[in-house]
Amino acid sequence: MSDRREPDGIVLTEAQKRSRRQRSIAIALALGVLVVLFFAVTIVKGPAVLNRPM
Amino acid sequence: MSVVDHNAIELGPRISEAEVGDYIALLKPRVMSLVIFTALVGLVIAPGHVHPVLAFTSLLCIAVGAGASGALNMALEGDIDALMSRTANRPIPRGRVTASEAMAFGLTLAFFSVMTLGILVNWYAGALLAFTIFFYVVIYTMWLKRWTAQNIVIGGAAGSLPPVVAWVAATGSLSVEPLLLFLIIFFWTPPHFWALALFRSDDYARAGIPMLPVVAGPDATRLQILLYTIVLVAVAVAPWPLGYFDAIYGLTSLVLGGGMMACAIHVYRRRERTESLRATRRMFAFSILYLFALFATLLLEVAGRAIAAAIG
Repeated sequence: MSDRREPDGIVLTEAQKRSRRQRSIAIALALGVLVVLFFAVTIVKGPAVLNRPM
Repeated sequence: MSVVDHNAIELGPRISEAEVGDYIALLKPRVMSLVIFTALVGLVIAPGHVHPVLAFTSLLCIAVGAGASGALNMALEGDIDALMSRTANRPIPRGRVTASEAMAFGLTLAFFSVMTLGILVNWYAGALLAFTIFFYVVIYTMWLKRWTAQNIVIGGAAGSLPPVVAWVAATGSLSVEPLLLFLIIFFWTPPHFWALALFRSDDYARAGIPMLPVVAGPDATRLQILLYTIVLVAVAVAPWPLGYFDAIYGLTSLVLGGGMMACAIHVYRRRERTESLRATRRMFAFSILYLFALFATLLLEVAGRAIAAAIG
């Protein structure tokens, strides 16, 4: 048995690749929602968006 | 073999196979749905007009904040979740997500929900949402839950805050009405969870959680359920004679309160194994219907007033 790791490093299984892709898409969608939300609120508030009282 | 090589083999990176569904499960969707509903009521009964985009933003932030609390709760309770049949299928005990992954997920969502609510709506609401998450995770999960039988009584404050956060998001201030909603959920929590704890007491005992039936026994729990239900019904009816909510709410509250009292009396009187089990399950199920119907009545009242104003 060799005590050295294979030179090609970590190879993802199909299940790992699929779940990673799913998670990446979910993160992209969440970021997209955040961008749309900030844009929509900026439009709704208009210039008042700069007014930031506590 | 060098130590570094050995560690590289033994402690190699763990590649996650967690799917989006596992992360959604971390958010406790059923708890989230109740939070969204009670927050919606807080938002709708608030005076004045709230732009739909801001209302949606507020609800989304409150929902994500509640989900973050759920994920952080699961990250901290993986050890006891694995011991209870009700929670053994959660993503952490099943090995789908690690505790540290759940912790990172929960902290990220908590940060974004609080900051987004603060920046886009108002900072009072953002601060109150942050306090709610802190109370649920630190005060309830980390401290009270494993320490005292009063865990869900005090911890219930976290679950009672969403309608208050929503009201503050809508108005920028606090008033009596959201505090009444807070009190209703606060006094609803002990009978609801103690009914669950009565028929799941073996689970809680195995996990070493000092729920009231485990620590004080089922009879003491039945008495506490009855006493808290009396207070709950009184608190839930009170806004009507005090003039905060209309007669439709008051009458609905009386009828539903009668149902809650009947369930609590059944739980108190039925002490034989099978009968007791049936009574506590009925109490648990009815308590969900009770809170939902009570808050739905407030929504209908507001909708009714809006329709009347539009017609008249």
